[in-house]
Amino acid sequence: MIATEEKYLKISDLNEYIKTMFEENTFLRRIYLRGEISNFKNHTRGHLYFTLKDETSRISAIMFYNNALSLQFKPEDGMNVLVTGRISCYPAQGTYQIYVEKMEMDGIGNLYIEYEKLKKKLASEGLFDKRYKKPIPKYPKKIGIITASTGAAIRDILSTIKRRYPICETILFPSLVQGASAAPEIVHQIKKANEFDLDVIICGRGGGSIEDLWAFNEEMVARAIFASKIPIISAVGHEVDFTIADFVADLRAPTPTGAAEMAVPTKLDTLNYINEKKSRLKNYIGNTINHKNTKLDHLKNNFILKNPMALYELKEQKLDSLLEQATKHIKNKVTESENSFFLLKNNSIWKDPLRMYEKNKVSLETSKIKATNLIKNILEKNKHKEEMMINTLKLVNPLNILNKGYSLVTKEEKIIKDKEEINIEDKINIKLSKGELIAVVKEKKEWKI
Amino acid sequence: MENLSFEQALENLEKIVQELESGSTELERAIDKYTEAMKLVKFCSDKLNTATEKVNKILKENGELVDFSIEEENN
Repeated sequence: MIATEEKYLKISDLNEYIKTMFEENTFLRRIYLRGEISNFKNHTRGHLYFTLKDETSRISAIMFYNNALSLQFKPEDGMNVLVTGRISCYPAQGTYQIYVEKMEMDGIGNLYIEYEKLKKKLASEGLFDKRYKKPIPKYPKKIGIITASTGAAIRDILSTIKRRYPICETILFPSLVQGASAAPEIVHQIKKANEFDLDVIICGRGGGSIEDLWAFNEEMVARAIFASKIPIISAVGHEVDFTIADFVADLRAPTPTGAAEMAVPTKLDTLNYINEKKSRLKNYIGNTINHKNTKLDHLKNNFILKNPMALYELKEQKLDSLLEQATKHIKNKVTESENSFFLLKNNSIWKDPLRMYEKNKVSLETSKIKATNLIKNILEKNKHKEEMMINTLKLVNPLNILNKGYSLVTKEEKIIKDKEEINIEDKINIKLSKGELIAVVKEKKEWKI
Repeated sequence: MENLSFEQALENLEKIVQELESGSTELERAIDKYTEAMKLVKFCSDKLNTATEKVNKILKENGELVDFSIEEENN
């Protein structure tokens, strides 16, 4: 019984064993899977739990938080993904599952991410800015078309132009518009088209899936459109989103037919436009002539023209008034001169010149006396000042000191105050109140009072 | 005027209308301009009405421009 029982394994042992088997299999350690996400759950701790499935099968999947950090998109149910991971067993549940290390969107998904990235980049560089949009000429002579030489797009464009504005020339620059070489071909043809004197270029293709339209989302196409000197109308047939080409183009049309309609006016519209100019011209010339006629009539009825004598009379009057003014002016001048002369003539000096002399003489004498007194005063004042100064000087005169019995000792004109200035046998001069002595120093001593 | 293209004629016409409507043109010049403009109107209308359809071209890989017709290509 015991022996029989011993063959029964614990489930955990089995599951652990199976887990080891999975983990020892080198193929299952790194596996690449393509599938659709379902039952997606974002655990609060950041781990992602979901199921990967295709038409017939499914497998549980887990993506740990640290791996999920590097995801370039937000996983959702229904998304097709490419995953890289390892297969292992979860012993507690007895299930095997894929431990996802890397996950990216499959196909279209990747394209969308690329699209968004490029759009952001080009927008930040200013390639979509309105200020770079070139105006589309209203009445083009020559239109370049870059699209496939067969198919609906070219047919729609040409028939629309023919219907609306048949006097316009077109040049087709045939290009692939789908597949890997489409983008470089479109770029090449945009450059080629710029060698022709075109008024506008239509660049596009008919509708299709996002992969079909992909050339119009390529950076090189965007840059070629931006660099084109000739305005470009983008014409990519699609419904929802815009292609990058649409954002860069000078004008965006939703379809090739739409592009042709934007590129050319209709013949009828143009005729109407010309006729509108014609009626404006007629109005203008009619109004102008009416206006000038009215003006002429008005002038004809002018008083002067009607009464030419009035013109003469006016001048007569003016002349009179001028003459009157001139006479008055001259008279005034004469009177002025006469007055000045009279004043001069009646000046007292002419009547009694001697009296004038006497008057001036007296005044001169008075001035003389005044001046003498003034000088005397000044001299006296100064004399007094001088005496005071002499007295002050006397007080400080060294000779006064000599009078009191002091004498002045000098050596070579220098006054000696200290015995150290003198050497024994030096010759010194002694100035007394009266006379001077010349002596030779015999001895030097301290001096005490 | 015969050498003018439709677009040039139309442009000249627009310029004259603009000049005249700005109101500073002397009468004599205005009448001359008006006469010219009316000729341009006739020229443009005639061109539009009588113009034959332009031929579509295609740029061949060798750089040659040749006539292109969608019907033939489709056949």
